[in-house]
Amino acid sequence: MLKNVTLGQYFPGSSIIHRLDPRTKLILTLVYIVVLFLCTGPSGYAICLIALCVCIGISQIKPKLILRGMKPLIIVIVITGLLNIFYTRGETVLLSFWVLTVTAEGIRNAVFMTLRILMLVSGTFLMTYTTSPLALTDAMESLMNPLKKLKMPVHELSMMMSIALRFIPTLIEETDKIMSAQKARGADFESGNLLQKAKALLPLLIPLFISAFRRADELAVAMEARGYHGGEGRTKMKQLRYMSCDAAAFTAGAVFAAAVIITRFLPV
Amino acid sequence: MDDILIKTENLTYTYEGEPALRGISLSFRRGEFAVILGHNGSGKSTFAKTLNALNIPGGGKVWVDGLDTSVEANIPRIRSTVGMVFQNPDNQLVASIVEDDVAFGCENTGVDPSEIRGRVDSALEAVRMGAFKTHAAHQLSGGQKQRVAIAGAIAARPKCIVLDESTAMLDPRGRAEVLEVAHRLNKEMGITIILITHHMREAIDADRVIVFADGFVLADGTPREVFVNAEILDEAGLGVPDTVRLCGELGLPANALNIDECANQVIGAVKAGGLDTAYDTRSTEPAPLSSVWCGDCVLETKALKHLYSPDTPFETEALKGIDFKLRRGIFAGIIGHTGSGKSTFIQHLNGLLKPSSGRVLLNAEDIWHGGKIMPGVRGKVGLVFQYPEYQLFEETCAKDIAFGPRNLKLPENAIAERVAEAAAFVGLKPDLLDKSPFSLSGGEKRRAAIAGVIAMRPDVLILDEPTAGLDPYGSKFILENLREYQLAAGCTLVLVTHTMEEIAEYADIVYVFNNGDIEFDGTKETIFAHAERLREIGLDIPEVTQIVLRLREMGLPITPSVYTVKKAAEEIKRYIKC
Repeated sequence: MLKNVTLGQYFPGSSIIHRLDPRTKLILTLVYIVVLFLCTGPSGYAICLIALCVCIGISQIKPKLILRGMKPLIIVIVITGLLNIFYTRGETVLLSFWVLTVTAEGIRNAVFMTLRILMLVSGTFLMTYTTSPLALTDAMESLMNPLKKLKMPVHELSMMMSIALRFIPTLIEETDKIMSAQKARGADFESGNLLQKAKALLPLLIPLFISAFRRADELAVAMEARGYHGGEGRTKMKQLRYMSCDAAAFTAGAVFAAAVIITRFLPV
Repeated sequence: MDDILIKTENLTYTYEGEPALRGISLSFRRGEFAVILGHNGSGKSTFAKTLNALNIPGGGKVWVDGLDTSVEANIPRIRSTVGMVFQNPDNQLVASIVEDDVAFGCENTGVDPSEIRGRVDSALEAVRMGAFKTHAAHQLSGGQKQRVAIAGAIAARPKCIVLDESTAMLDPRGRAEVLEVAHRLNKEMGITIILITHHMREAIDADRVIVFADGFVLADGTPREVFVNAEILDEAGLGVPDTVRLCGELGLPANALNIDECANQVIGAVKAGGLDTAYDTRSTEPAPLSSVWCGDCVLETKALKHLYSPDTPFETEALKGIDFKLRRGIFAGIIGHTGSGKSTFIQHLNGLLKPSSGRVLLNAEDIWHGGKIMPGVRGKVGLVFQYPEYQLFEETCAKDIAFGPRNLKLPENAIAERVAEAAAFVGLKPDLLDKSPFSLSGGEKRRAAIAGVIAMRPDVLILDEPTAGLDPYGSKFILENLREYQLAAGCTLVLVTHTMEEIAEYADIVYVFNNGDIEFDGTKETIFAHAERLREIGLDIPEVTQIVLRLREMGLPITPSVYTVKKAAEEIKRYIKC
């Protein structure tokens, strides 16, 4: 069950998207998200969707993988859709029963909102699938570097991030294992009311926490043994350098953003 | 240059109020391959951590390449001189990608980026992991992870690598991989290796063996010098290699370290007495494979198949239609290497996994009758997972053991009775029951966790590698208790393992798993007669059986179905004239 969660997983590859500087990908993903929220009409969404599909195509990541990662979000998406259908006030009433009214505007809003969430999530998935977590944290560290002057622990934060990402799959596997072990002892995680269900989780959560602390402890010792002493005087094997393809990507990004912004002034 | 790389002088260390090291004076030469043996809690790991200043001596001194480890300013140089690889492969890889992890040490010491790349590549080549450079670390096997960890140590260009029980959590294949790498680094790159372990066999090819017990050095010498002293090893709770034990049983000089030496000694003795083949009236051909006779089956599977990630590109057939019959009241063994499907299989027996197709029958009833799981099946088929101590969660041991019976909705007095009974079966002292399970030793935790399943009084008890990571003494204790329990409770027991010696010692019937199917099953005699096939599918046969097979190659017409030292000695004695 938990094995289907692919959040934050990296699929190595050699496409242009894979080879882009992680900073480029991070900045462009942010641009993409902002632009998504600037979309006002179908033409804007269409441009975003095309851009997204083109990127997925170039990345050679199977669309199936991206769709699979979205499974846990289905409920959020459905609720957003429903709320928009029922709570948008509009003039063209299509359907009305009890206290609920469905308007054309509502449906339009619902479609756009779900599209927006879907595209937002697929866009970020595309980034995490094509960028190793370490490269991503490197990029964040590098982009946040100016904040070091304000005494922000930038290196420490990025280290924490990359370790967290490293241990997500390990802890997911462990959760699965402990769950099976407790089920074998007759534990029931599924039936009962909310309180009973929460209580039933204790035999899962306590061992999981203890194990996480043990892992943290052992990892700290291993890091110390390998000479880790914080960010000072540290070098990096993979140094970030912008290449010509990054310039091209930024240009494409700028054109894309401009195109979407222009659609705001179009009648459709 | 000084020939001594590491020197300790009267080293003491106190751990949580208990003295862990009580005055250790040792020195390690450059280029040496030393093995430190000791039972759990003997102080060997504490000692290892003092060698690169993770532990600062409580008393006495440690010098690494002439540098005093208690001087703070020396620490960076000491840590780049002595690399460490730890026990748990999952808890020492820092980065998600193999090559990034290997680079971690170099990055910490500020090596120039252009140089790191070269070091990382050559370190990965040295451990034969070059092809996995860009792989995700968590997807590797245990042995591969440990090799990556070793590469991480090598990349920092150390003079010495300390492997702190780095093989303890690995399967035989992974263990062999790590040992091979350690020996090669020692020979080809001249790196001093200090290997800490409780596996006797790993010490046989070392230059030097040091035995630790209770914070002291009990013995120090070449493997030959140390292993002939059976008393010393017994005192350290370690036991003697089978080759030495066999020679001892036969009254030969007990100094054979490997199979060849042992076989040569035996042949020598046989020839000295004149070859006596008078007893050889039996056939020496391996007995034909028989399928397991089944009068009263407690568990049965029919054409059991399991697919992982069905309908995705990752679809894999983990079980390929298994027909399995388990006779009531026996001690059965399931053996197979990692990935052979044995763990997936046993999770079908109590309904944790649902078959993709095929049936599981408990007492001749389908446990998935009508698509819903048979109520109470998990109480009837008890399953103890690998490293079961990681599932302990209650405030006291007693409460934890009671978790299973409580889920069966038994009355309080029955629960208390079962807790006491289960604790007694696994040899857990009553005064430990009121303690927190987290305050127990490793072996005690393991036993408490096993008791938690026994307390459900299952008809069938299945244990997945119950001795993984324990020292020989702790392993034996658990297995002996399980056998007593099986006889006393009259239940059926299934031991899943990849240690052939355990199967040889305890199991009545053996199922050999390979590639998602049962390759063959039968009594031990029939299984071990197929030594060649077992080797082909990556399983080791017991050391004694290997000796006997070598004897056969050398012309002694002895039966190959021998799997314990006692039986081997008996068989060999037929050919030695007294």
